[in-house]
Amino acid sequence: MTLLKTRGRSPLQAAGSGELEKATEKRNRRTYLALLIPGLLGLLVSFVFPLAYMVRMSFNKGAPDGVIEETFTFDTYLQPLTDPYYWKVTLDTFQMGVTVGLLCVLVSYPVALFLARSQSKYRGLLLAIAIAPLLTSAVVRTYGWMVILGTNGLINSSLTGMGLIDTPLKLTNNITGVTIGLVEIFMPYAILAMISGFGRLSPQLEEAAGSLGASKAKIFARVTLPLSLPGILTAFLLVFVLSISTFITPRLLGGGSVQVLATEIYDQTTGLLNWPFAAALSVILLVLFGLIIAVYQRLTRKIGG
Amino acid sequence: MSETKLSIVDLTKRYAAGLDPAVDRLNMQVEEGHLVALLGPSGCGKTTTLRMVAGLMDPTAGSIVVDGKEITHTPVNKRGMGMVFQSYALFPHMNVEQNVAFGLQMRQTPKAEQKKRVAAALDMVQLGHLGKRQTRELSGGQQQRIALARALVVEPTLLLLDEPLSNLDAKLRETMRTEIRSIQQRTRATTLFVTHDQDEALDMADRIAVMNGGLIEQFGSPTDVYERPQTHFVANFIGQANFLDVTIISETGPAPVAGEASYKVDVEGLGGFGAVGAKGLTGAHELVIRPHRLKVTLTGEGHDALKGTIERVSYTGDALSVAIAVGERSFNAQLLTTSGDLPRRGDTAYLSWAPEDAYLLPAAAPGKAS
Repeated sequence: MTLLKTRGRSPLQAAGSGELEKATEKRNRRTYLALLIPGLLGLLVSFVFPLAYMVRMSFNKGAPDGVIEETFTFDTYLQPLTDPYYWKVTLDTFQMGVTVGLLCVLVSYPVALFLARSQSKYRGLLLAIAIAPLLTSAVVRTYGWMVILGTNGLINSSLTGMGLIDTPLKLTNNITGVTIGLVEIFMPYAILAMISGFGRLSPQLEEAAGSLGASKAKIFARVTLPLSLPGILTAFLLVFVLSISTFITPRLLGGGSVQVLATEIYDQTTGLLNWPFAAALSVILLVLFGLIIAVYQRLTRKIGG
Repeated sequence: MSETKLSIVDLTKRYAAGLDPAVDRLNMQVEEGHLVALLGPSGCGKTTTLRMVAGLMDPTAGSIVVDGKEITHTPVNKRGMGMVFQSYALFPHMNVEQNVAFGLQMRQTPKAEQKKRVAAALDMVQLGHLGKRQTRELSGGQQQRIALARALVVEPTLLLLDEPLSNLDAKLRETMRTEIRSIQQRTRATTLFVTHDQDEALDMADRIAVMNGGLIEQFGSPTDVYERPQTHFVANFIGQANFLDVTIISETGPAPVAGEASYKVDVEGLGGFGAVGAKGLTGAHELVIRPHRLKVTLTGEGHDALKGTIERVSYTGDALSVAIAVGERSFNAQLLTTSGDLPRRGDTAYLSWAPEDAYLLPAAAPGKAS
């Protein structure tokens, strides 16, 4: 306002020249920034500080019996980066994330597509049923899968009972079991992510494609699938991130024979009390996340553009 | 007389058993090259009819015949029609050219020809320079034109337009109305056009099907449905109308229009007046007079006039709308403004009309013995 006064113009004239608008915009921006402060403070305390502490920890030196030697060394990174065992664990983790992500997207897509397009009065109920598994914890659901997949579990006893197999299939304590469990556990997330990503889909577009001569298969390939790609990508990313950071299911369904970064970090933290090493593994996991998110953003920009 | 392009026979759609049908044994013949407006209030079945013709909806009964071939159960993608949706339904992941080319790609038209026809179609809607644009960068009117180009580029057997102008603002709507009509006439595409806007229908259509409750109330040219409405609904829905219950006194001779007769009618015991209508009418009927065809004078001239009092005057510059009370009933009249004295509320006014401006509805007035 001082600016306006020194120039000796009424605010109305100034508004005409856009100066008042600029002043208002400036004030608004300050208000927005002020409104961000509580959230930023919260993030700082709960996220940035611990993360910085963890990164710092990864440069310390771990000694037996949980003694942490304050220093600055890259030794903690040397071991995972040179030891083939940790390369394998990292690769296994990545592979599990991709497999679970792909399978989860594959089984969730039809469900999500149906729910997004349904005009039934039961749509709300069906949606609730689809995400109801979130009401029970992943631990409980993992135990459920152990009962179903175990050597004397539902699947094996039915199959042997019907005489289809002689020896029970090995479905637990290996990566197969972990994958099956994770896919089911993350389905609700994938379904929700897809439905929210299907914004551009509309039955009218499919009708338009049909009226222009496209068969059902062509409609799906040229209209439905391309328009649902953003939802599919988001769902894949979410499930990938969730599955490479999950600990409970690989530990319980893997029965100790499935080693991924999350279980390794857990063992280092609570078993061997080697916090610097656990911190270094965590940083590696974070870098893995970062890479995937960068690829994801590039892809979504391509699709959206 | 041109050939029949589309004929609809006893077409019926019932969404659920027990419900009244949305479209009830509808019959219609559309001539080649005509633009036919399906006009009616919402819920009259006009969109349902269009969707059945398009193949987006299965009829419960009846048949649809195009070019002499029955297509009632032909799937939508085999009908070769061009449809423009109310929301335009442009593919958001394709640019303008790709949108227009879609139908040609589905027909596996050679690439070079595709390119030529897409360019020609875009030129036709005057958007040749926007081919590489994304559809979301276009204004409503431009999207509308692209949708039209996309539907026409495949040289459709029928062009189907589902309320194509309802998402545009009033000014643009006027422009697009003229443009769609001129493109339609140039391409001679036989067109079905769904609208609830009577002005659009009167302005653009060769034939109007006035629909109500799943039925066609009247099918005819714009002047037909306006000047010679066959039902109370049509007279009321298209334009404004004064309705009068009258009893026919006598047929007085032929009318200016062939096939019609002049009558002398009694207006609710207020006196004898002239009117025209179909030949051979007797008994009680309803008389329709458009507001601007009523003559209003402030001095009683002649004897064929109804004496009334001006109840309300509304001035809109070009015209003057007046409501005139005659006994229990009220008439709406529209007068051209002159520089002279305007009638005022409370003035006594005399109403009359030329016999050929008063049309007798063919059906006997309800609730009265004829």
